[in-house]
Amino acid sequence: MKQLIELTINNRVYEVPVSPKDLLADVIRDKVGLTGTKKGCGQGDCGACTVLIDGNPVLSCLTLAIACQGRKITTIEGLVAEDGQLHPIQQAYVDHGAVQCGFCTPGMILTSKALLDRNPKPSEEEIKRGISGNICRCTGYKKIVEAIFAAGETISTEGVK
Amino acid sequence: MYLNNFEYFAPETPGEALDLVARMGNKAKVLAGGTDLLIMMKEKMIQPEYLIDINNVKEFKGISYEPGKGAVIGAATKISEVEHSPVIRDKYFALHQAAGELGSAQVRAMATIGGNSCHASPAAETPTPLVAFGAKIVISSVSGDRELPLEEFILGNRKNALAEGELLTQFILPEPAPKSASRYWYIGLRDAMEIDAVNMAVNMVLENDGRTVKDLRLVMGSVSPRPLVSVEVPGILVGKEFNSELVEKAAQAAAGEAKPISDIRASAEYRREVTAVLARRLLQQAFDAAREV
Amino acid sequence: MNKDFTQVGRSVPRKDGPLKVKGEAIYTGDMVLPRMAYGKIKRSPYAHAIIKKIDYSKALEMPGVLAVVTGDEAPKKWGIVPQTANEVALAVGKVRFYNEGVAAVAAIDEETAEAALDLIEVEYEPLPVLTDPFESMKRANEVCIHEDAPDNILHAGDQLFGDPDKAFAECTYVLEREFHTSYVNHAFLEPHTSLASYDTQSGQLQLWSSTQVPHYLHTQLSIVLEMPMSKIRVTVPAVGGGFGGKGEASPADFCAALLSRKIGRPVRVAFERSEVFATNKGRHPCHMKMKIGLDKDGYIQAVDFDNTLDGGAYAGWGIVVMFYTASMIHLPYKVPNARANVRRVYTNKPTCGAMRGLGGVQPRYAMECMLDEMAEMIGISPYELKMKNAVESGYRSVSNLHVPHTEYRKCLQTAAERSGYLEKHGKLPFGKGIGLAGGYYISGTAYTLYQSYKPHTTVLIRVDTEGGATVHCAAADIGQGCNTVMAQMAAEALGIRYEDVHVVSGDTELGTFDLGSFASRLTYASGVAIKDAAKQINDKLFEVAAGMVGCRADQLEVKDCRFYSKFEPKKTIEWAKVVDVYTNSVGTLTGLGHFSPPRLKGIDLTRGKRVQGANIGHSPTFGFSCQIWEVDVDLETGKIRVDKVTEAGDCGQAVNPMSVDGQVEGSILFAMGQALYEEMKVAPDGKIINASLHDYKVPTAMELPEIDTTIVDSYDPTAPFGVKESGEGPVQPTIPAITNAIYDAIGVRFTDLPITPEKVLKALKEKQENQKSEGR
Repeated sequence: MKQLIELTINNRVYEVPVSPKDLLADVIRDKVGLTGTKKGCGQGDCGACTVLIDGNPVLSCLTLAIACQGRKITTIEGLVAEDGQLHPIQQAYVDHGAVQCGFCTPGMILTSKALLDRNPKPSEEEIKRGISGNICRCTGYKKIVEAIFAAGETISTEGVK
Repeated sequence: MYLNNFEYFAPETPGEALDLVARMGNKAKVLAGGTDLLIMMKEKMIQPEYLIDINNVKEFKGISYEPGKGAVIGAATKISEVEHSPVIRDKYFALHQAAGELGSAQVRAMATIGGNSCHASPAAETPTPLVAFGAKIVISSVSGDRELPLEEFILGNRKNALAEGELLTQFILPEPAPKSASRYWYIGLRDAMEIDAVNMAVNMVLENDGRTVKDLRLVMGSVSPRPLVSVEVPGILVGKEFNSELVEKAAQAAAGEAKPISDIRASAEYRREVTAVLARRLLQQAFDAAREV
Repeated sequence: MNKDFTQVGRSVPRKDGPLKVKGEAIYTGDMVLPRMAYGKIKRSPYAHAIIKKIDYSKALEMPGVLAVVTGDEAPKKWGIVPQTANEVALAVGKVRFYNEGVAAVAAIDEETAEAALDLIEVEYEPLPVLTDPFESMKRANEVCIHEDAPDNILHAGDQLFGDPDKAFAECTYVLEREFHTSYVNHAFLEPHTSLASYDTQSGQLQLWSSTQVPHYLHTQLSIVLEMPMSKIRVTVPAVGGGFGGKGEASPADFCAALLSRKIGRPVRVAFERSEVFATNKGRHPCHMKMKIGLDKDGYIQAVDFDNTLDGGAYAGWGIVVMFYTASMIHLPYKVPNARANVRRVYTNKPTCGAMRGLGGVQPRYAMECMLDEMAEMIGISPYELKMKNAVESGYRSVSNLHVPHTEYRKCLQTAAERSGYLEKHGKLPFGKGIGLAGGYYISGTAYTLYQSYKPHTTVLIRVDTEGGATVHCAAADIGQGCNTVMAQMAAEALGIRYEDVHVVSGDTELGTFDLGSFASRLTYASGVAIKDAAKQINDKLFEVAAGMVGCRADQLEVKDCRFYSKFEPKKTIEWAKVVDVYTNSVGTLTGLGHFSPPRLKGIDLTRGKRVQGANIGHSPTFGFSCQIWEVDVDLETGKIRVDKVTEAGDCGQAVNPMSVDGQVEGSILFAMGQALYEEMKVAPDGKIINASLHDYKVPTAMELPEIDTTIVDSYDPTAPFGVKESGEGPVQPTIPAITNAIYDAIGVRFTDLPITPEKVLKALKEKQENQKSEGR
């Protein structure tokens, strides 16, 4: 049943043996070893497993790995620059106190990235709407919204290094 | 929460897809967005032997519009593409609104407009405005295509009119009438990630006087097993000058037509009451917008 | 505020921030050990049934299955409160709630383990199911949930302070109301996960767990596994939230450990979201009657409180929560006479336990709403009534709760001023409203609930040339940020920078003793121990530094990584150089600090008599806060939109103001969920019908209102660095503040939760009909 497929994750090609039923979240975590992608509910309700596929935020717990061949997958591990510098969104989350337990953080940051890629200067309302599929139980979202707003400013003035 | 074993197919042409659908029959499920299908599989509600992933078939995707003729939306078009499409926003505003309120940004990036109708959840967002626009669907099979009004396609809770070997491939939206406008909204507990207690779309056409209702469709979701097209509301308003007294009468009529049930989200009484509220608000909004056209 | 601080009071980013934003923080579920197997739990389809037989022979035959355990193999009862221990790792003889675990499987992968569950055959004899506490008490002679509780009551307590009956008789204003709160879950984002590794040769077990309480987990493992604590090591990786829900041992811990011991391989058990709901330990639904009496001038004379807590199937933290609800009527207002009659009842539902602000949220809801109503009776502003009755620093309640320091009035005043409460209250158009409520919470416990009187926190600070300064403490950072705060306090005490302090926490072997992350205890408790340990370090380094700069040690001070002579600032030397000299001659320097809570007794001060359960609720100090909510009610749909929340809190000296704001904002949304959206719904057969984040509705970012928070100027001179709690106090005022705002908007007082649009609309209609029938 298993077959070898190629997955492009964070600009690197991985050859992984998968069954058709294997979910992207499990393959990324268990076979590729990128455990930054989290599983909070398994039903698409919490957003912790969000990854970007061709730039769009996608729930990896409801995506078949086999269906992702030939697509560009970005996980949280793919955001840091080659020199180790944090992506402006990551830096803003740290600086604004938008991280508490951190379990929602990878998915939240990737959703933020998809939002800012589409709309670099979102309004507060647009940010809230954009991240409403990512549940955070710790922060009350306020500092997350502030971080995204600040990251948008940084990216539009300085760009992403 | 593991899926059962199945064989996976990812056809790249309509011909391949229809051929697979014909061959696999009821043992197969079509994978479009997967946001409903994979949850049902995880919960072991269904255990298909084959999955036919139609996401690689370009012909099933995309939005085209021809002035005077209307829009065609491929069934495998993502909800987010519908949400962000300028032509949908300009011409079919209620559909733009409904697409934007469906699930989360992630669900919208994954789910498809065809899946939303095929899944046939009574609380589905996009069928409500699509029916209000008088959308037809194209059902394809190896033996050819057939067209059906969407309201005849959705038969009830998780029941649709697809026969074995058939695939929903397109939505055809007629060109909006001049001096017309549409509006959609819903009632839910939160402002995101909701399963609607009630949703509704109104598509209204005015006479050139900007006061008289020429034509009107009001469609309700989540208050009946399938999108409910109001018969009484057009009867009350069409041919009349729009006024608040008639709107109130129409709102009460819509509430009367609704056949809601009580469940964990809301009671039937509440659903009926807010049906009237939605009707009142959306009729007014659509009227105001149509006057501006 | 002590303005001299350089490290305490800084809004520094958290120590674990960068790792978490990179996705590199390691949670238990991210860990894989060589030879690791996977465990899954078979759960009961009945909420109340006798287990007649369990046959797992077919499961064992399945390829890949390594072992199965059942409750009979670990029958020792555990309990987070030792006096009421009645839980087992897996059900023994009987199940008492829907989805209770009856067996656990280990297999080579998780999928096989899950599939094997279907091959375990369990024969049940169903029993009647009790889901309502009043029915449970009524039908106790016919349906008994626990044999040792023939009345289906875990415990009942009666507390009397002063003479409330006499006081009520003399009151000018007396009000009596009933309140009901709902069945809510923590909904932390990381489901319980546990990884156990048992070494068959040494008999040593290491367990990595998503827990708030490594020490309590350690003790419970020792009981259930019947192993000495010295053979068990508990390690806490990153934890994805707790809010009380990881404040006990979880069946995931026991099953991982039992399976690992059985097969001699590491075993990981990770819960699904549905299992989080099934094992719950969330907030107790409370059915409360409260009576408050005021004299002619509006001063509270007496409070009478009756509370029936729906406890679910087992004891959990139940008795403690129950007595907390009784103690919470004594503050933040002066109450000279009080009575509480409370009982915690068993039902066939997942057990209730500790949840953020435990024991306080329910009575606070009742009291703050009633005072709002009583202010109206008197004809004064609720603000005035609350200011008038607010406690002051040094207050001692009739139950002997001692408040060393409070800025509660400043909280009320700040929030009122910043929100324009007095200008708006009662004057907004129909449908718009503003509501005020206050609250307080403990900063740790003051009387031990623990079985011995050893220090509750011990901190070891190690200073040497290799590590600089390292703080060792087995505290658990569950996302609240205690590692950062401990580093800031240690840096302050040592005169260095927080960036240079390492914290080793979350490990019962590497860290010195700590009781756990609950009761908002850690900042205060670790602060005391850190000061103590740092003093020992400083005493030694000062002597060496004095010799190096040429002055007396008692003339030195240390700040910004340098020792200075207070009198001749030119005489200065770098901290690291002094450490170098010290370690080169003497070796690694350590300081060991302890925190022991004060022992305060709950007595009736008017009689000097001990009162059962009244030791619970005492604290070394208390945090206070006020919230003012502004709402806009859609009069046609009943939907409540929150426009703005204004909060002012007294958390003493904020160690990390940004972190405090995060706690406050998080609390506001957390409690808003319980007020407006959240409720676990239970079918008559005991099944939770919305056990998913799809249907159990926690606030999303769309529900975030405008929030204005103020940390009021405060410094508790009795506390280390002047600190108090900020993690649980801010959930207290939320529910009553919303409820009072809704009253201000539409003139309806809601007494049961959540306040859904449907309830609002129904109440509006009833109100309209009443007005019609009264001919108005």
